[in-house]
Amino acid sequence: MPVEYYVTLSGILFAIGGVGFLVRRNVLVALMSIEVMLNAVNIALVAFNRSRPANLNGQMFTFFLIAAEAAEVAVGLAIVLSLFRIKRTVRSDEADLLKN
Amino acid sequence: MMDSLFPPENFSLLALIVAFPLLGAFVNGVWGQQLGKRAVRFMALTAVGLSFVASVITFLALAKLVEHDKGEHVKLAWTAWEWMHTTGGHGNTEIPIQLKLSVDALSGVMMLVITGVGFLIHLYATSYMEDDPAFWKFFAYLNLFVFAMLVLVLADNLPVLFIGWEGVGLCSYLLIGFWYQELPNAAAGKKAFIANRIGDFGLICGMFLLVHYTGALDWTGIANGSGSLVSTVDLQRVHVWPIGGGEFRDIGFLPLHLLQPHAGNITISAATAIALMLFLGCTGKSAQIPLYVWLPDAMAGPTPVSALIHAATMVTAGVYLVCRLSFVFVLSPFTMTVIAITGAATALLAATIALVQNDIKKVLAYSTVSQLGFMFIGVGVGAFTAGFFHVFTHAFFKACLFLGAGSVIHAMHARIHDGVQSQDVRNMGGLRKYMPLTYWTFFASTLAIAGCPFTSGFFSKDEILYRAFVDHTVNPFRIAAYSDGGHWAAPNWVAPAVFIVGLLAAVMTAFYMFRVMFLTFHGDFRGWTIGRASMISHSEVSGHGHGEHHEDLTKPGHAPHESPWQMTVPLIVLGTCAIFAGFLNAPIIKIGGKPWEPMGKWLDPVFEDAVKAVGFRQPGEWAASMEWPLAACGISAFVIGTGVAYWMYIAQAGRPAKSLAEAMPGLHKLLMDKWRIDELYEVTVLAMVDALADTFAVFDQSVVDGLLPRLSSLIVVGLGTVLRVFQNGVVHVYAAFMVVGLAATGWFFVAPHADATVTVSDNGDYVVQASPGMGYSYQWDTNGDGTPDEKTFGNTQQVKVHLDPGKSQTVRLEVQNAFGLHGAKEIPITRPSAPLEVGQL
Repeated sequence: MPVEYYVTLSGILFAIGGVGFLVRRNVLVALMSIEVMLNAVNIALVAFNRSRPANLNGQMFTFFLIAAEAAEVAVGLAIVLSLFRIKRTVRSDEADLLKN
Repeated sequence: MMDSLFPPENFSLLALIVAFPLLGAFVNGVWGQQLGKRAVRFMALTAVGLSFVASVITFLALAKLVEHDKGEHVKLAWTAWEWMHTTGGHGNTEIPIQLKLSVDALSGVMMLVITGVGFLIHLYATSYMEDDPAFWKFFAYLNLFVFAMLVLVLADNLPVLFIGWEGVGLCSYLLIGFWYQELPNAAAGKKAFIANRIGDFGLICGMFLLVHYTGALDWTGIANGSGSLVSTVDLQRVHVWPIGGGEFRDIGFLPLHLLQPHAGNITISAATAIALMLFLGCTGKSAQIPLYVWLPDAMAGPTPVSALIHAATMVTAGVYLVCRLSFVFVLSPFTMTVIAITGAATALLAATIALVQNDIKKVLAYSTVSQLGFMFIGVGVGAFTAGFFHVFTHAFFKACLFLGAGSVIHAMHARIHDGVQSQDVRNMGGLRKYMPLTYWTFFASTLAIAGCPFTSGFFSKDEILYRAFVDHTVNPFRIAAYSDGGHWAAPNWVAPAVFIVGLLAAVMTAFYMFRVMFLTFHGDFRGWTIGRASMISHSEVSGHGHGEHHEDLTKPGHAPHESPWQMTVPLIVLGTCAIFAGFLNAPIIKIGGKPWEPMGKWLDPVFEDAVKAVGFRQPGEWAASMEWPLAACGISAFVIGTGVAYWMYIAQAGRPAKSLAEAMPGLHKLLMDKWRIDELYEVTVLAMVDALADTFAVFDQSVVDGLLPRLSSLIVVGLGTVLRVFQNGVVHVYAAFMVVGLAATGWFFVAPHADATVTVSDNGDYVVQASPGMGYSYQWDTNGDGTPDEKTFGNTQQVKVHLDPGKSQTVRLEVQNAFGLHGAKEIPITRPSAPLEVGQL
């Protein structure tokens, strides 16, 4: 399969994630959108890496990204939990304590 | 063994000489209070004592080396490390500045005087300062001073000398204001510090000029480069007017051209500029007109300080510097004349003031200023050996005089308990009975300073006066080659005038010194009538920590008493030296037809270069025939001064002095007020500085503190108001901003950017180099006719263009990136018709 297919898939996923992050107000969904975007990047990385079999940088990077994602989710969910305790909501537009 | 342990090039003993006093200062300064008096005394004396021993060993090693290479200017040197480097000189070469110490004949003698006299004064001070609560601090400062002074004389280059120069200035400040609880003392310290700063400004400027013109700051380097200091080439001279060179042109309506001198810019030789600047430094440190005013006030410090710093060592630093750089000073006969005249004027001015002062230390202070004037007469007329020899003898007799005065004050203080009253000669008299040792040593030193034949002061002072009369700084040998009239010679009246003024000052010296001695030691003791009850308030605020202050003050105190051995032993040693040290350099005495001058022979290699520029004013045997007549003048100066003093204060018991003062009340008052020079400075210099400071204060309060903070706060508030709108707390809006930024960055990468740099060589061949980019391919239109060189995009990153002078051409570059997008740029190239200059495009 040519690399363009993968890249196109990656681009579509990235756009879905981006739009989802911008339009959805639920913090949990926003977090999931971020995951989608990151995974789009992962797909692009491993796809490009196939064209250079001698060099494993792309796949290495993917593993790093997966680890970073795990950490990010852990922290993100903890923040969401605290937000819910304070505001009894997970809607991001109501979490504007740092306004102005 | 000496040679292998301390080779001349790496004479590490020099480091020890300066390290001992520094260690003493450190230990006493940091732990002095806990150590107690005995340990502090031991530490301070050992530090200076060991330094003296090391100095003697160094001196012997130097003497051996001198013996070995006869006539050479030998040096023992020790380099610590390379301190910094700068650039300068005609080639703008790199100049390493090393932390280097060296000792030659000149600094060897200074080193012995500093550590030797310094040790005696330390010993004296252990007793004099016995009851002071800040005993430890005093000795820490005193040791630090010895360290700084040694660095000053042992320095091998000007920056290291400057460390010592500033160090002694600092110690002087600390010690003048040692009893700082009393306001005048603190003020005197500040005055000394500030007056010295003005001098230091000159020294620093001198250093900058030396780096610029000679490309060196060490003594050898300056000597080697000094030939260029007298250049007559316009560029290598110092432009005085217009300042720094250039030309005055009209600006708008301002007729500035009127300021432009008609006969071309006014220039002076670099040697004159440097020597004048260095001499400004010397006037500060060595208390010459116009910066002498600090020295008399410096008497606010404890008496051992006055003896060590303000008489024997620090104040001679200026004379030392002139001697050290004598080969630079002689290149400028003008500066030499300025030095001689300044010295003569200072000698006379200070002597006239000393005639009428009643404070014993004030008289000695003015006599110091006056004697320093003599030293500058000596070096100013080119008699460097004589000038320096006066430094040497003066160190003994003036230290002895000050210590003697200290001994007297000590005794008086025990009776009167008042700082001011116990220094007033009007309260003394007849002390010869009570303190014979002090009397005889004081008498010996008075003879020496007054110039009694065959004492040390006679030989040094008369040699100076003799040379002042017969000598002449001729056109320096180095500029003999230039005969365009660019050099200057002193007018004929200068030498006799300097001589006569010096002689007058010598008469006055003899008079006022014997006046003080007669008033202090002869006649009857007048201190019995000084009441003590009225002094209670004084003694309470007094910083003197004498324990006796707290005894019953209603009873009269003890009779004056002789001081303890720690104070008398230094007096005896110094008094003996004051009498006999003159025989080290007595050229007037002929042995086997040759002048007897071991010191002169010893110093000859140091001044070898400089004395070539000095000659007698008239040729032949004239100078030699003048020797005894001029000496007779000197002896008669002593006889007249002493005789008048004897007649006034012994034979007539002070009545003529009183009636003279009553006959000329205006003059007497003027002399008592020290010619009101301080007041003059107050209304001129100080008022100017104050006015300037007031102006700056207004500026500071209105603009710096008023306008600027308000303006900046306004900007911050305004920006904050605008930016606050964007911080709405909604995460999605922030994310949207990020997306916009991301899109912009993405577009920047996607859109191709055509750019190129043009490099040029002398012959009109231009190379146009395209800036690289990811996935770029290039298409060139080199001749700019609209059709590309090649139909397709290729990998050609650069093209070459040749242009004839005066022609221009436009090169068009088009790039295509991986997405197939295109970007273009036109690069115009013009070759100037005039001869091409580097960096034209």
